[in-house]
This record gives sequence, C-alpha cells and structure tokens, in this order.
Amino acid sequence: MATDFWATPLDDLQSQRWIVDRSTLRQARADDLLYVGDPEYLEFLNIYFANVISKLGKKLQLRQRVIATATVFFRRFYLKSSYCETDPFLVISACCYLAAKAEESPVHIKNVITESRSIFSHHYGVKNFPSDNTKLAEMEFYLVDDLECDLVIFHPYRTLLALCKKEDTSGVQSLIAEAEAGEVGAGVAEDDGPRYWGLDGAKLELSEGALQTAWFIINDTYRSELCLLYPPHLIAIAAIYLTFILHGPTQTTIAPLLPSSNSHSDSSPTPSSEDTSQPRRSSRQSHPPNKKPHQDPISFLAGLNVSMQHIATIAQEIISLYSLWDRYREDSSPDASSSSSSKNQHVHRHSPFHSPSKRSATSAGLLSSTGTPEKDDVFGDSGSESDMTCTPAFLTKLLLRMREQRIADLAHPASGKPVAVNKMLERTQAAG
Amino acid sequence: MLDDWSTAQNDIMRIYRSKRDAARGTVQSKYNILGFISSGTYGRVYKAQSLDQEGKIHAIKKFKPDKEGDVITYTGISQSAIREIALNREINHDNVVALKEVILEDKSIYMVFDYAEHDFLQVIHHHSQTLRHPISTPVLKSLIYQLINGLIYLHSCHILHRDLKPANILITSKGVVKIGDLGLARLIYEPLQPLFIGDKVVVTIWYRAPELLLGAKHYNKAIDCWAVGCVIAELASLRPIFKGEEAKLDSKKNVPFQRDQLLRIFEVLGTPDEAGWPSIVDMPEYNSMKRLDRYSDRLQEWCQTRIRSATGYDLLRQLFLYDPKTRLTAKAALQHPWFKEDPLPTWNAFESAGAHQIPPHRRITQDDAPSMMPVPAQNNSHPHLLGGGGIAGPGAPFAQAQTSKPGSSNSFASVSGGGGGVYVGQQPAGSTGRGQGARKKPRHN
Repeated sequence: MATDFWATPLDDLQSQRWIVDRSTLRQARADDLLYVGDPEYLEFLNIYFANVISKLGKKLQLRQRVIATATVFFRRFYLKSSYCETDPFLVISACCYLAAKAEESPVHIKNVITESRSIFSHHYGVKNFPSDNTKLAEMEFYLVDDLECDLVIFHPYRTLLALCKKEDTSGVQSLIAEAEAGEVGAGVAEDDGPRYWGLDGAKLELSEGALQTAWFIINDTYRSELCLLYPPHLIAIAAIYLTFILHGPTQTTIAPLLPSSNSHSDSSPTPSSEDTSQPRRSSRQSHPPNKKPHQDPISFLAGLNVSMQHIATIAQEIISLYSLWDRYREDSSPDASSSSSSKNQHVHRHSPFHSPSKRSATSAGLLSSTGTPEKDDVFGDSGSESDMTCTPAFLTKLLLRMREQRIADLAHPASGKPVAVNKMLERTQAAG
Repeated sequence: MLDDWSTAQNDIMRIYRSKRDAARGTVQSKYNILGFISSGTYGRVYKAQSLDQEGKIHAIKKFKPDKEGDVITYTGISQSAIREIALNREINHDNVVALKEVILEDKSIYMVFDYAEHDFLQVIHHHSQTLRHPISTPVLKSLIYQLINGLIYLHSCHILHRDLKPANILITSKGVVKIGDLGLARLIYEPLQPLFIGDKVVVTIWYRAPELLLGAKHYNKAIDCWAVGCVIAELASLRPIFKGEEAKLDSKKNVPFQRDQLLRIFEVLGTPDEAGWPSIVDMPEYNSMKRLDRYSDRLQEWCQTRIRSATGYDLLRQLFLYDPKTRLTAKAALQHPWFKEDPLPTWNAFESAGAHQIPPHRRITQDDAPSMMPVPAQNNSHPHLLGGGGIAGPGAPFAQAQTSKPGSSNSFASVSGGGGGVYVGQQPAGSTGRGQGARKKPRHN
C-alpha cells in the first residue's frame, strides 16, 4: 500500500483516523441537504468557509500552515455536525484559535474575538458574534472533543518540500521563506531523524515559478473537502502533477483540454487585458518562462510508489474546484466600506489560477446589491446551471435560513422535512 | 434579518452542546477514584481504577479548571494542555507514557494515563534515605538504557521533551521505564517560529543545558541529551550533579543570567572555551560567562568514586560535551560500549534487584479524592520549572503503568469507520505486581 511507503509513524496513524470515503461525506451533510435547496450550494459553502477562515487567519497574522490546520479542524468538525445545527462562525473562530495553539503560534483569545467580530460583521453581515471570551473558550472545548484530541495535522506542503527543490542551488527555502516567512524552520533544529519520504532524498527540480504554483495549488485545495478524502502526500503529488500541466512548457498544449479554462473564458464577459493564452496564472508569475527541468518529471512521478489513479482523480477534483470557484464572486460584500480591504485580500490570494478578469466580471454589475445569485429561482430548475454564480452574502443568508428552518423543524417535528424546503422557498421568493 | 443570528446561534449551540454532553461518558461513570497522588501548577493527579471488567489502574491528570472568583469558567485551554494532549495522541512506545483517553467534562480536562508505581526520584530517595547505598549497576544501567530508548523514539518523532528530570521519568512495577509529562514538550519539525519565542525558559534548572543557560535562541535535541547526562549522574551519586540556585525572572519577566547554575557545571566540567565549543562566542551571555572564575575539568575524578567504570565515564563525558553539535545523540548513546559490557541492561530494570531495593509504592491520600476538587499545590523539595511561559512541570510523580499498548490503541472511535480501537486487553491484568491488591478498592468497585 502506498501509504506504507510514505508514512511517517505520525502520518500513518492520522491518515487512518480521519480519511473518509464519499458516502461518509454525504452522510455528514444529510441534514444540511434537507435545507440547502440546490446541493451545489454545499460546494460553494466549502469555498465560502475556507475563505472566511483564511480571512480571519490573515487578520490574526497566522501563517499559511496555521490557516490550513484551522481549515482541516473545521472540515473534520463538520463530519460530525451539520451547518444547520451549529453556528459555523463560532466554529471558525474556535478553529483558528485552536490551530494557532496547535501550531505553537498562539494568539490571545481576546484578539480572536475582536477580529472575528470585525470581519464577520463587516464582510459577512454577521452581527452579534459573542463578545464574551467564555463563549469562544467553550466552543474550543467542544471542538477539541469532537476532534478527538487529534491536533497534530499534516499538510501537503511538507511532502512538496520533501519531494521538490528549486532548480538553482539556492534551494527551496528562500523561495518559500519569501511567501511564508519563516515557514521552513528558520534554521532551527536541523532534522537528523530518519527520512520517511522515500527515494533516498532524490528531489525533483522545479523552477521557482513552478514550485510556487504547486504551493498555491495546495493552498487552494483547502477550499474543497479533499483533505478529508485523501492523505496529504497524495494531494501534494497531485499538485505537482497539475503544476506540470498548468505551468511551464507543456502548459499551452494541455490547457485547452481543461474544462475550467473553457468555462472561464465563457463566463468572462469582459475580455481582460491579461494574457488569455494561459488558462490561469499566478499573480506573481511575471518572470521569464522556466527552463526545462533536468530530470524527466514524468518518470520521477512514476517512480513514486503511489497510485497514479488516485493522483489523476485528485487532479480532476482540483480542476473541478477551480471551475466552481470561477463562479464564486468573492467581492460582493454587504458592507461597502469593506470593499477595499476585500480587494486586498483578493490581490494577495495565493491562487495560481486566480484570474483578475474575475474581478472585472463582478464589478461589471453582474451582481445585485443584495448579493443574491443572478439566477432568480435559486431553488428551482437546473437549466443554465453553469451560468449561476454564488456570493458570500447569499451564502450567509442561506446559512441563516437553513438554521432557522432547522430550529423550527426541531421545535415542530410534525411539520416534516419537505415542508421546510417549501417554506424556505416561499421566504426567498418573498424576499426577492 | 441577520440580527436574528445571535438568538438562533444561542439556541442552536445549546442544542449542539446538550447533544454532546449527553453522548459523553463522565469520569465518574468510567473510573473509581482511589486517591490523590500529587499536584502542581497544572492541576492534580489521581489514582483511579477503571470500572470496566479489567479494572486496570490509571493515573488521571486533571488540569486545573479556570476560575473567576468561585465560578469555574471557560478561559481557553492552556498551551501546555494542548501540547500534552496533541503529542500524546500521536505517540506510542513502550518507554513513553501511554495516554488512554482524554475526557472533557464540565469545563475540566482529564487525561487518563496508564499507571506507573515508581519514578526515578523515588528510586533515588529510597537509596539515599532508606538503603543508604548506591543503586546497583544493573538496575542503574537498565533504567538509563530504557530512558534513552524512549528518548530516541521521541526524537525520531521530532519531539523535544524539554523537561527531563528524575520526577518525570516513571517506572512501572514491572521495571519498565516510561518517560512522562509532555507538558513542555513540543514538535520541532519545521517550527513556524523559533522555539524560544514560545517559552522563555525550558528545562528545570539543574538539568538545563549550558547553551540554554547562556541564552541560546536556537536549541535542539541536544538539550534533552544533556538532561539525560544529569539524570545518569544523579542516579549514580544519589544527588543532583549540578545543584545550582536558580536566578528568578525579574518583574519584567526578563530571563536573568544563571550564574550559580553555570558555576556548578564549571566546577565539575571546567570552564568551556572556544576550542571545545566554537560557537560559544556567539552566545548572548558569553560576556557574562567570561567574568566568572575559571575552573578545570574534574569529571573523571567525579566519576571515579561514583560510576566506577571507564566506559560509564566516557558515556557521561560525551553527554556532557559543551558543544551541542558534538554532544552525543540519543541514538549514539544507546550504542555506547557501556551498555554492551557486563552487567547488561534488562527490560525489567528491577530484574536483578531484591525486594528491598525496589522503592515502596506511590503514596496516595484519601481525603479529597472523591470530590476531585483543587487544593493548593503541595511542596516539593525538588525544583521545578516556573518559567516565563507560565508552564510548569512540577515534580509530580506522575503515574504510568506497564502496558504493551496495542497498535492504534486509544478508546477514541474513528469517524473513518476504521473502528475506534476499543481499549483492548493486551495489557497484563493487574499491571502492578506486589501488594496492590491489598490497597486497591478502598471503596466498592
């Protein structure tokens, strides 16, 4: 089994404990499905929640790895609970607070409260987040319990750095240090332990841009539920694999095959000034084209003792994520005053496929000010689904409706589930 | 409309919590508290018997709940508790304490460990005060061997213990050494920030490595190896080898220069110099150190009467190398010739020992046991860490028991359906050998 080859003693335990299959995932969302209307909204919610966590994490000056850990905590928590039966915003705060401690870079609880209140209220219209330390501390307590005390989280970044190095001799450290100041060890405690990552330390040489792309792809995977489905090392390898497709000499030949690139150009009403020959690009990728790596990447990847079928599946999932993400309009903040800061967030987002044209699309007035999707009948037909976009404001309202409905149903069990959906539909229509 | 959020939120989270509370097994429903073992700044440790069929003995560490006035409240789990929980969930080794489960109940955290009847400090006290005789070489060597074996495991998992000392090293009644108290331990794999940022002071003063005493910002596994050297010397001589006075943090929590502790070290090992430790000149406290009186190396002399073995002296010499870069690693220490010459170490450290050589059972007290309520910390003659990080590892004789822990052990079910290993009964039934039957079950079971 592939994991045997890769596993450290730590990874090994963990991947068995928290990697689930799709039916388990579906089961975990069963209650939410009753209230969400279109199941696709659940996919959008995956992006939405990851963005909220990321936004809060950055405000708290947490490193990327801490944010990733918080996101994994969040996903795992919702394997056991429903969005409609909890307060995801309180859970998000607790995940960030706990992840900071678990990653040995703690932040004060008061600080978490303050920033949570500010971000949730300004960007998501969620007022009345508790101002009381004890509420967050209480949530942390239950969170630790639901996480079964598994607080050490492994991320694909580690595999990426174990497998790849930058092409020139200055090494990967400096590159990543730039993106993630201090992420890699700060010269502390040089590792003299045994290596579990295989290939006797042989590393794949990547150009700086390619390595960065892989890093950013990994960042992006946290907007999906991949971290619940596959162990981190497989996700890392899929990210490397995608890097070869989406970045570098092979890029242009393979790009047209990508479904996301098509949907992207279709849905972009304003042809941006950006070079559109590349399907997506990193906002930082302005340096000259990369030299071809000395090694043959295909045989390197093939030499890894992992199932290439898994890798292909994961890569496909990541591509689907990008195509979904393309229809997610981050900019529509209910609070006008926050738009400048959200713009910043946007620019700094580390997506290799982040397309600035997306922003132009939103500012071109596709969104109504209430933040509801363009499609009028959000719960109805699935006709032009690919055109439908989704906004944070809409999802925030959706979450609240789901919860209200759930509470009503819990209070009056006789009302039955289908009624709940109809009621919600009425409300939406009345509101719209 | 969004203003409804908080009402809905309160309701919904109340429902969530009551669901969780109902599903949770309480400490009292799973364990019979036999008595109180020890306490410290972190909280209290109790001896308890599982109410399941096996009736195994455990040590339950209850973290001190946070209080506002008399009301227990949530204020956030301490960094120390998070560490101990997180690391213990990941590790599994015969020479490291085994966590059975964590129970979060009623605003308190209970960590349930397997029980250990003895610890290194007990053994030292028993020999120095009762027997008035050194620890026999086979016992001494077995204890050290197992300690290093456990440390190799921790280090291979990228874990620094950072508070190794006799009180934190436990021994089961079957003579198996268990490294305990990971309250100050931490993962050092790709740390996000230098280690010193989290905790200004690590390792109890007598066991603190010279690079820490000289204010090093970066340190590594070598600090644990220094502590092992101190523990070996203490087992051999029955008193701490470098028994210095700790200079306390000032009111601004600045870490003072540990003059006395350094002098205690220099008196035995001689004053360090650039030849043996080139990077010493970069140490923040290098100039303060230069002003101290100079001493010459007397370790060999020290060992002659206490270790009485040339290879034993060599092991100690290499663990006490000033330069962390050249200091013996745990892995290399285990390969040292001392462990290959007679008497060989044994997996039951007490194998060669007569009954009188084994220290008496851990004392427990009854008074406050049933309530499990906190009382003021007791005094402990051994020093402990009350450092800037606010984390303390007092000399709690913290209990662990012999167990051959099954693979993924732990009674936590996995959502992945992999089956939460039920706490399987591979453990030897009454893990405590002698006499325990007489003292357990003071109340009904």
